[in-house]
Amino acid sequence: MKPQSLVQQSPTNRKLTTGCETIDGCLRGGFPCDSLTEIVAESGCGKTQLCLQLSLCAQLPISNGGLDGSALYLHSEFPFPFRRLHQLSRSFHLSNPGIYADHNDNPCDHVFVQNVHSVDHLFDIMPKIDAFARNSKNRFPLKLIILDSVAALFRSEFDNTPSDLRKRASLFFKISGKLKQLANKFDLAVVITNQVTDFVESSDGLSGLRVGNLRYLCSSGRRVVPALGLAWANCVNSRFFISRSDDTICKERSEKERAQRRLDIVFSPHLPGSSCEFMITREGICGV
Amino acid sequence: METSRLPLSSSIRGKLISAGYTSLSSISSLSSTDLARDVNISEAEAFDILKLANQMSGNGSTCLINGAKNAWEMLHEEESLPRITTSCSDLDNILGGGISCRDVTEIGGVPGIGKTQIGIQLSVNVQIPREFGGLGGKAIYIDTEGSFMVERALQIAEACVEDMEEYTGYMHKHFKASQVQMKPKDILENIFYFRVCSYTEQVALVNHLDKFISENNDVKVVIVDSITFHFRQDFDDLAQRTRVLSEMALKFMKLAKKFSLAVVLLNQVTTKYTQGSFQLALALGDSWSHSCTNRVILYWNGDERYAYIDKSPSLPSASASYTVTSRGLRNSSSSSKRVKMM
Repeated sequence: MKPQSLVQQSPTNRKLTTGCETIDGCLRGGFPCDSLTEIVAESGCGKTQLCLQLSLCAQLPISNGGLDGSALYLHSEFPFPFRRLHQLSRSFHLSNPGIYADHNDNPCDHVFVQNVHSVDHLFDIMPKIDAFARNSKNRFPLKLIILDSVAALFRSEFDNTPSDLRKRASLFFKISGKLKQLANKFDLAVVITNQVTDFVESSDGLSGLRVGNLRYLCSSGRRVVPALGLAWANCVNSRFFISRSDDTICKERSEKERAQRRLDIVFSPHLPGSSCEFMITREGICGV
Repeated sequence: METSRLPLSSSIRGKLISAGYTSLSSISSLSSTDLARDVNISEAEAFDILKLANQMSGNGSTCLINGAKNAWEMLHEEESLPRITTSCSDLDNILGGGISCRDVTEIGGVPGIGKTQIGIQLSVNVQIPREFGGLGGKAIYIDTEGSFMVERALQIAEACVEDMEEYTGYMHKHFKASQVQMKPKDILENIFYFRVCSYTEQVALVNHLDKFISENNDVKVVIVDSITFHFRQDFDDLAQRTRVLSEMALKFMKLAKKFSLAVVLLNQVTTKYTQGSFQLALALGDSWSHSCTNRVILYWNGDERYAYIDKSPSLPSASASYTVTSRGLRNSSSSSKRVKMM
């Protein structure tokens, strides 16, 4: 066994741009490769929007902050927003015409979508992902895996008994271990979304357990905590939180009011706690 | 060995032998007062005899087991051992000057509290040259979670070099001090980084470490971030897990003693179900808690991060606050009474 040289590697992990300068600045270039990044938010905050945009941005050349690769989108929340992906891909194609050979080459062709019904199903397709990543010899090798969302896989199947919780926790570690293995082997960026649960002040004080910087975990005026608890929090490398505030700020360009969203870094090994604000437009995510 | 061979004046030697003390073992258990009375010499003389006898037997001739040491020698050795600073003086204070070599130290806490930051900080700080009060050693970083970020390590290394340069600048006014030779790049070069993707790899690597460290001198710290991750995946047989873990702990203990290096194991926290309620505890169970010499728990108190010494044979329980800055671990600036002894 030989140690890896830290100097020969590029000075930073490769990063995948989000296509939004404000968020990229906050994340120092975007989502890191060879790392598991979790996006926590309640529904309607833009988790899926951000993921769709990432899966397109992965196709950008490395010089533009992309990974020159394709994306695999595992979705456990139905239905998959094909229409929205198509909409985004059109504007993506228009703004980046150079990277596609001709008009028939569509950005959507390089986003692979797979549904996942259950935890077992996820484990079934893991070896296939490995084979897929190894054999993808086309112009865009697999560089990004998105799992949207991990919470949906666990929400129904398990009871709240100690033995079930233990079983559940060991599955968390197994999923995370497998994904990290893939991320390391193929230098992939892995992005996982997670839901939130309401914060309940309880007598044993555990649900109020502070994981990372909880100060910001407030969405739509409620206090929330990421779903799946402490065990899952141990499984990810970085955790970002998206919240939306109901006061609307932006009325330019269209009459529709847009809610402002805010991305907070809860914890991350390479980033200081900070935040940035963005909104979602027809063309995708853009900073405020 | 016989008393006649001790380098003593002939009169005292004669007195000793005539009093019946012919072998060294016969006087070794006596106090100087007893010996003075029995042989009829002054107490100072008796003390000298005992000291001589002790020195002679110190050559190993009367040691029961080869390599056995007495507590006095161990204390002396321990005091002379260097410690690895954490760059946070409050934390150093409660740790007795830093992370101690020859020990296995376990550090645990919730995600985002700064375990990895401490790991990276230590792997940089162990390289501070001796002129600056460091160890001038190298580091092994075993990454099981993929949280080690080169860009962060570089950032901390740069801050460390800057601090040393500032220190030399200050020293130049008073003494002639050596220039800082280290570059941030050299610091990265001296961190041996292993990425481990399964528990079998982890076990294999730990078995290999002995050989690796013998080939690469100057390794002064081994950091495992985290010891836990692969052991929480699917171990249906918990007894087997305990065996594998305690074997690994023994190996670390051996490495720490053999090469006189510090082993730092980072651990996660979990909820423990006792008497109908959930409580926070370090992961891997009760039997694991015996595996480490020192245990430090990191926790949030309000908006501040705190470290608490949970278990240590030589340090009092105490807690201290720290912060994680862009330059690495530092003292928390807010209050003056940061260290709280309990």
